[in-house]
Amino acid sequence: MVEVRLENVSKRYGRKLAIDDISFTCKEGEFFSILGPTGAGKSTILKMIAGIEPINSGKIYFNDRVVNNLPPHERNVSMAFESYNLYSHFNVYENIAFPLKAPKWKLNLSKEEEKAKVTEIADFLGIGQLLDRKPQNLSGGQKQRVSLARALVRKPQVYLLDEPIAHLDAKLKFTTQTLLREFAVNYGATIIYVTHDYREALALSDNMMVLRKGKIDQLGSPEEIYHTPKIDFVGMLVGEPPMNMVDGVLINNRDGKTIFKAGSLFEFELSKDAAIKAQKCVGNENNNLNVRMGIRCEYIKVSDKKISDNSFRLPVYAAVHEAESSVITFELENSFLHSRINRGKGYDTCHISEEVWLEIDQENICFFQKTIELSKA
Amino acid sequence: MSRVDCNNVWKIYGGNVIGVKDLTFTCNDKEFLAILGPSGGGKSSTLRMLAGLEEISKGEVSFDGVVVNEKGPSERNIALAFESYALYYRMSVFENIAFPLRAKGMKNNEVDKQVNAIAKVLNLSALLQKKPAELAGGHQQRVSLARALIRKPNVTLLDEPLSHMDQRLRAEIRAQIRRIHEELGNTTIYVTHDQAEAISLCDRILILTNAEKQQIGTVDEIYNKPVNKFVANFIGQPGMNFMQCKVESQKSVSINTNVGVKTLELAGTVDPKYIGSEITMGIRPQQIRIAENKNLESIVPGLIKMIEFQGDTSILIIELSDTKKTEIRVVISAGGIKFKRGDSCFMDFRPEFIHLFDDTEKAIIERKV
Repeated sequence: MVEVRLENVSKRYGRKLAIDDISFTCKEGEFFSILGPTGAGKSTILKMIAGIEPINSGKIYFNDRVVNNLPPHERNVSMAFESYNLYSHFNVYENIAFPLKAPKWKLNLSKEEEKAKVTEIADFLGIGQLLDRKPQNLSGGQKQRVSLARALVRKPQVYLLDEPIAHLDAKLKFTTQTLLREFAVNYGATIIYVTHDYREALALSDNMMVLRKGKIDQLGSPEEIYHTPKIDFVGMLVGEPPMNMVDGVLINNRDGKTIFKAGSLFEFELSKDAAIKAQKCVGNENNNLNVRMGIRCEYIKVSDKKISDNSFRLPVYAAVHEAESSVITFELENSFLHSRINRGKGYDTCHISEEVWLEIDQENICFFQKTIELSKA
Repeated sequence: MSRVDCNNVWKIYGGNVIGVKDLTFTCNDKEFLAILGPSGGGKSSTLRMLAGLEEISKGEVSFDGVVVNEKGPSERNIALAFESYALYYRMSVFENIAFPLRAKGMKNNEVDKQVNAIAKVLNLSALLQKKPAELAGGHQQRVSLARALIRKPNVTLLDEPLSHMDQRLRAEIRAQIRRIHEELGNTTIYVTHDQAEAISLCDRILILTNAEKQQIGTVDEIYNKPVNKFVANFIGQPGMNFMQCKVESQKSVSINTNVGVKTLELAGTVDPKYIGSEITMGIRPQQIRIAENKNLESIVPGLIKMIEFQGDTSILIIELSDTKKTEIRVVISAGGIKFKRGDSCFMDFRPEFIHLFDDTEKAIIERKV
């Protein structure tokens, strides 16, 4: 296994800049995820590392060696594609065994060794009973696991996995995700993993990055990405519901207090720390100190009684009850605000249009400059 | 508004393939009922029979006590909204919504009044002059819903309306659907394979698999009193954990662990015929408490194999210290005890959260009501 490092890598398709000056390091043995929406350039990065896509500028290193000019087969990577790419004339066993037989890796395994490896990975991923089947007789979820098994059966320098569990049903996704993490830990595998599903990225990664339109928005551990997003886009890509965004203004009172105000009802005094954070993100429009506040749904208290001098009242838009918690939604001018209340931990029996008290937990408040427009669905 | 009754309804395809088997349920007036199950379970066949798009092989469907078996879709006064929006792309949003009224020959000023009223409820007032292609997916979906609702249907049938929705908009759309339902009070039947969707939107849930009804009940009943192992596992994310245990008495079971035999009390009783037998115990990942006091009798030790960070929660993947080293999951909320891989932990299996299933996978604890 190697460390993979990208230094100022860019890639153009015609005049379009698909990847814009990207640098990151995936250490040896690290599980590194690339999270982003469709079209961000995630798969392009994997293909550049694999050598399938040439790059226009920058350097790609495997350990200390620049691999820019190495053809794919000399880079020794193993890749799983979202689209499976299975050989339809081969059965499952032959598909998985294929990389073991490829002359370029010179593995020279005996039939027994090959069988042991194929069976081991197939059993591990729960497809051991499908080895005789042809791909066309498999469900989408089964095909995807065959594709994953084929990528994992051999020990390359680095595993490149592109949405390898995207097509599994919800329950199977959970168990397969755990298996992948177990695989990574057991083999000390270097894995670069592409996904659009924030849950997978948070659950699996040692480190991750958020990619938007070919640029890195944030690099960090899953905890950093979740708790301290640097950009509004990152906060809104991660979490269910996503981080609440509220556009408002700062009002600096004469007595040194700073108020955050969004519309006529949403108003509270910022703590010292929160005020400092907010001042750094202020944009000046129409003589107002405009700022975007971000707060995760679990950090908004809801009560039928006044919570503190810093709480304020809003009418309930809707209450949605789940098995372990409820989501109370409020309508703001250009966004909705969601609060999650765990069973028995707050006023979750409120009804539509009822005015309730809200309090923002300022320890967990974020402020942003606006990089995206808010809108209601 | 209407109450819907399905009485011993069967759907048999080609003489021998059973699509729906002897299904009986009621959707009460103004109720929001989910029909939930994996694909191929009989959900869509049921919905199509209710809508009149599919012949009923045996049994009766009635609306407000009137059997509608022989009535066509248009005579049943049903609003149907499917996953695909099927809007008229050349017409404005207004004309799309007005279409069913114009088809009835309604006068212009009455059409205006009704379209504006429904648009207000569905938050579409600002968009009435746009063409559907100019709208985001969520808006298009609401236009389709508005067109379905404007006829003041007896029953609204929704078939996977949210399955292609951007996951980031889910909370917003759910809030909107819930609000619309509470404002209009329509009897609504919602077909979905997504248990989280069913739980968050509906008053009650009917679970179908292999053409058969498994259970019907409120979210609370389905979640806390599943009637069998299928329901227990299908509902909840992650699904219920299962492990082996031995029935010790009518009110207790035991697990053999590396710190000795642990006896666990039950909240209810089991038939004495099970005493001494090895059966399946179930407990939800969200309902296992990580214990502070490890000396309680109900505490079972385990080893943390993996931790999956989920943001507001983390999932611990734990190797239980029973003889089979069963792998189970425990959901803990952020801000609780901090663990790392390889740590030991002690879990409290409290009586009210323990489920037992016999070898036919039926739940067997009789709970006091």
